[in-house]
Amino acid sequence: MKIIVAIKQVPDRDAPVRIALSANWIDERDLQWAMNEPDAYALEEALLLKEKAGGEVIVLSAGPERVGSTIREALAKGADRAIHILCDDLSARDALGVARLLAAAIKPENPDLVLTGLQSEDVGLGQTGVIVAELLGLPHSTMILQVEKIEAGFKVKRELEEGWFQSIELPTPAVLTMQSGGNNLRYATLMGIKRAKTKELRTVNAAELGVDIGSVVMLERITAPIKQKSTQILPGSAREAAAALVEKLKTEAHVL
Amino acid sequence: MSVLLILEASNGKIKRASWEALAAALRLGPAEGITAVVIGAQTEELAAEAATKPVGRVVRVEHPLLAHYTADGFCIALQQLIQIEGTTQVVIFAHTYQARDYAPALACRIGQVLIGDVVGIEDGPVFTRQLMQERLNGSYRHSGGGPCFVSVQAGAFRADGIDAQPKAASAPITTFAPTINSAQIRTRPGEPFRGSAQTVDLNSAQRIVSVGRGIKDPANLPMVQELATALGAELAASRPICDNGWLPMERQVGSSGQTVAPKLYLAVGISGAIQHLVGMKGSQCIVAINKDSDAPIFEVADYGIVGDLFEVVPALTEALKAAKQ
Amino acid sequence: MRAATPLLGRRFRQVKFGKAAFLVRPSSIMTALLPNLAEPQNFSTTERLLFLALTAASAYGFCRRFWPIVSNILHSKKDPEFHLFPIGRRVHDFVWEVMIQAKVIRERPLAGFAHALVFWAFCAFALVTLNHCASIFGLGFLNPAGRVGRFYFDFAAVFAVACAVGILGLFLRRFVTRPRWLSEVSWESGLIALLIFVLMVTYLAAFFVPGASTAARALWWAHTITLLAFLPVIPHTKHLHLLLSPFTIFLSRGGFAEIPPLADDEDFGLVAGKDLTQLVSLQAYSCVECGRCMEHCPANNTGKLLNPKEIVLGLRGYLNEYGPASEEPLLGKYNAQEAVFECTTCGACEFQCPVGIEHVPIIVGLRRGAVNTGAWEDDHGAKLFLALERGSNALGMSTTERDKFVEKNTLPLFDGTQEYCLWLGCMGAYDPRGRDIVVALVKVMRHLGASFGVLRKEKCTGDPVRRLGNDLLFQQLAEAGLEALAQNRVKTIISICPHCVRTIQEDWKAYGTPPQVEHHSEFLARFVNQLPPAQDHDKIVFHDPCYLGRYRGVYDEPRSVAALAGELVEAPRSHERSFCCGAGGGLVFLGEEKGQRVSHVRADELAATGASVVGTACPFCNTMFQDAFAAKGEVAPELMDIAQLAARGLPE
Repeated sequence: MKIIVAIKQVPDRDAPVRIALSANWIDERDLQWAMNEPDAYALEEALLLKEKAGGEVIVLSAGPERVGSTIREALAKGADRAIHILCDDLSARDALGVARLLAAAIKPENPDLVLTGLQSEDVGLGQTGVIVAELLGLPHSTMILQVEKIEAGFKVKRELEEGWFQSIELPTPAVLTMQSGGNNLRYATLMGIKRAKTKELRTVNAAELGVDIGSVVMLERITAPIKQKSTQILPGSAREAAAALVEKLKTEAHVL
Repeated sequence: MSVLLILEASNGKIKRASWEALAAALRLGPAEGITAVVIGAQTEELAAEAATKPVGRVVRVEHPLLAHYTADGFCIALQQLIQIEGTTQVVIFAHTYQARDYAPALACRIGQVLIGDVVGIEDGPVFTRQLMQERLNGSYRHSGGGPCFVSVQAGAFRADGIDAQPKAASAPITTFAPTINSAQIRTRPGEPFRGSAQTVDLNSAQRIVSVGRGIKDPANLPMVQELATALGAELAASRPICDNGWLPMERQVGSSGQTVAPKLYLAVGISGAIQHLVGMKGSQCIVAINKDSDAPIFEVADYGIVGDLFEVVPALTEALKAAKQ
Repeated sequence: MRAATPLLGRRFRQVKFGKAAFLVRPSSIMTALLPNLAEPQNFSTTERLLFLALTAASAYGFCRRFWPIVSNILHSKKDPEFHLFPIGRRVHDFVWEVMIQAKVIRERPLAGFAHALVFWAFCAFALVTLNHCASIFGLGFLNPAGRVGRFYFDFAAVFAVACAVGILGLFLRRFVTRPRWLSEVSWESGLIALLIFVLMVTYLAAFFVPGASTAARALWWAHTITLLAFLPVIPHTKHLHLLLSPFTIFLSRGGFAEIPPLADDEDFGLVAGKDLTQLVSLQAYSCVECGRCMEHCPANNTGKLLNPKEIVLGLRGYLNEYGPASEEPLLGKYNAQEAVFECTTCGACEFQCPVGIEHVPIIVGLRRGAVNTGAWEDDHGAKLFLALERGSNALGMSTTERDKFVEKNTLPLFDGTQEYCLWLGCMGAYDPRGRDIVVALVKVMRHLGASFGVLRKEKCTGDPVRRLGNDLLFQQLAEAGLEALAQNRVKTIISICPHCVRTIQEDWKAYGTPPQVEHHSEFLARFVNQLPPAQDHDKIVFHDPCYLGRYRGVYDEPRSVAALAGELVEAPRSHERSFCCGAGGGLVFLGEEKGQRVSHVRADELAATGASVVGTACPFCNTMFQDAFAAKGEVAPELMDIAQLAARGLPE
């Protein structure tokens, strides 16, 4: 079975982010980068499938030079080979533009399954995987926790709202976007890193893929929200505080 | 502004999130320009409900193959509708799991890109959505011809204001039957099911109420369980509670127990030692109730109540029950 | 005195005291007590041939077993970065630990001394035995009647008595008293004890029989046969340590709990037999099964599977079955992965070992083999590694939390001009109790007028991943840390955590040159005279952290600081015998432990001293005891770091 996992390198979740001077993206200097977490779960699911049924796991990522480190991490964790779409203006493209690049690289590979994370930790659009499916004319499903290979294709466990789940059957080939937490991530090992040195990492320039880079949606400006970071201590009697809390949870935190 | 509002139903009723999307749509233009869409195999009652809201008209997209949600079915049906409508400027959804599953595909079929999970709409229209784990806001604008696809974050717009809006007595309802054949539906969805009722699955719980040593006695646990039930939350605990056997080990949150990241984590009588913090710091919203104002838990909490939990917990249960009304 | 009377060809004088008469050799003090050693003369050719045949058989028995062992050791991988020089330390250790038996005696005084007597007797007997065997060919070089001979034989006799008494005592201990750490009753120990006893008795008896008698000859043969029986027994039993342990001690790595570097790109730690180095193989064969490692192991004392003695013996069993070139996994038949990951790396085992076995590098080596190859599948372990792969600290907290702490307490940032860089570490930056310790230390440092700053950003030193055997992650953290320190021009670091101190000072050396590091107890101890003592005088019991005590040899400095706040009492197990809190070796980040909680056992011991305050010098010990005492309820002693004790006397 040939599985392609599309991963994205995103800024380290914990690091403070600053807005770039141009105000249309973040300041990328001094940032630490890491693999997008849902993509890590997608990779893990792919590796588990390979371990069970045999086959090949190919890792695909678009981005500038620095993305190489995340790709090598994926190779170290067990992917067999990798494709790096060298692209310096990823943040300027909309989801369709990015999906076009990925689809163009995936198409000639004719995979049985394409996995990617549900959404990215930076822009969090959650659409790229779905659009890739559409561009490739493949069936898809999202919010997937587990994938099982069956006779007719795949049987997957999809997460629904409010603690419900659903099983879905899809034919092969298909595209799935993976939710975090469906499996246990493996850590990078010394042996994995050593082996990764001999694995193929093919670089292709974005321009070579010949896709239309026009944007339909534009990210014009980035601002910092006026959000208090400090703890709000709700005063008053037990009753008053409780009522205030319920109000805040509904209107401010949107968790009720 | 010609707006197509796609409504989503659950258990025979339109979801609240869809009405919030209506509230957002009303920011873009008056009610007359809004066409509410219900989709399914039997949409009469849904359409009737929609017609009572401030919308220009209601369209029932009906087909037997739309009885259960599938991405293919919904995309085909709505693509045909949009084509027929012709003048749609904005297609708006609630940003639900379902919409996330098909709206981007639908947009792509029409050569568009969804602006998803929008939290604010300014003149332009300029859509605001959150980036970098809600640490930054981005302003998005749609360019070019063709409809603009937007989905709206749950809770970002208030649904309760809608009914007060001026509207016609009842909006007109029309039906549209899309052309779909079963070969075009490529996925086979199964019946929804709950996670196993036996095992405690704190990981998938959206809300958690967690107790610590402040509870003092296992006899006081039912009071907290009541709060959890009122909140629709799972019960969890810090290590000492599980050590004493007051709650099973599977409910332990912390470095030697589970790591959870629910939408809401309510820490009752927990001081906030590091071993517990590492298990729940990823929670979206943390609320702490503790009688010690210096308790470290308040450092990580978004909201805190400094008080006697034996008073606060019942009061909170009451307040939640009242809010449900 | 009468003139000398020849007797047995030797010169004697008759001494009369009243009616009693004694035959006295004028120049020998011992003559009053001991007659000459009887040495049979004129052995027949048959006897000589028999002797040669028996010796050959004995030698064959010996070599047959000894040669494969030596071969296993020599055919093991060479130790990377092993240096014979400087040799001074090796000679010192050899004299101190082997000849003087210092470690053997210090840790178990009575039994240790008994063993020392046996050992010294063996040394003393060297010439005796040689002479004994040479004498059948008439080549004996020690004359029982001559001055040198007499002196030497008498000298050996003293040791023989001591040895016989010693071996009897040890026999009774092993077979009658049966302490826990000597494990099952061992017939081989019984046999050895018997052989040694017989050797001594046959030697001593020879003083009391006439020279040319049948009895003397019988004793000679009895002694010889016992000797020739003993020789092949040596390599077949743990008495191999007779031959090996002097080498083991001489060739040891020298440091304490020193983790060796990986040899090359193909080295992932101790995965299979082919990864065992010569030193490890030598150590595996040197184990005397004394059980001192087991006796002090916190895991073994709380019902875990881990037994450091069995780890070493497991390697020996492996080598005997598979040899040093095998691909068979080390964690399989002879050692369990579960046991290996129960170790807190407290070092009590290695510290005690009288034959120089280095348990900690062995256990860490086995862990490396499991982790570097991904064979270790543990949810908590993976979580720890993933947290450090992506983030900066072992707790998985956001760095903004540390920034908030620094800001809230207005801690000065290190800018290269201050004298000290105050290293917060993961606990000092993110743990509420660790933060309290930092705040107290800062208060004291400000009072002393010390110039210090904290780094803007810190990554974990990598201690837990180092002890768990993840070399990939550790290298990344060490290199990042060294670079950060160099960039910030840090010259001296003060840390509240002995783990950080150890890792920066020792473990980072493999990747660069770390700056000077000291623990805050060492810093505070220098200025203890400038710190006002606290008014309230509590009884304080100080718990020696493993990584400060055994690992660094720092025992007095924290006590001198703690003494500012009260009166010190000692726990039953203190100083180098301190019992671990259970957090080390990365274990605090792993899941629930089996059996009793190590921290609870130690907490109970500390509380039982009657002290009202437990003094700690490590934020991990502090957090472990907090948990343990919390389970006890209200009657627990107060838990204070020495920084907090030092700050007690300061004005608000």
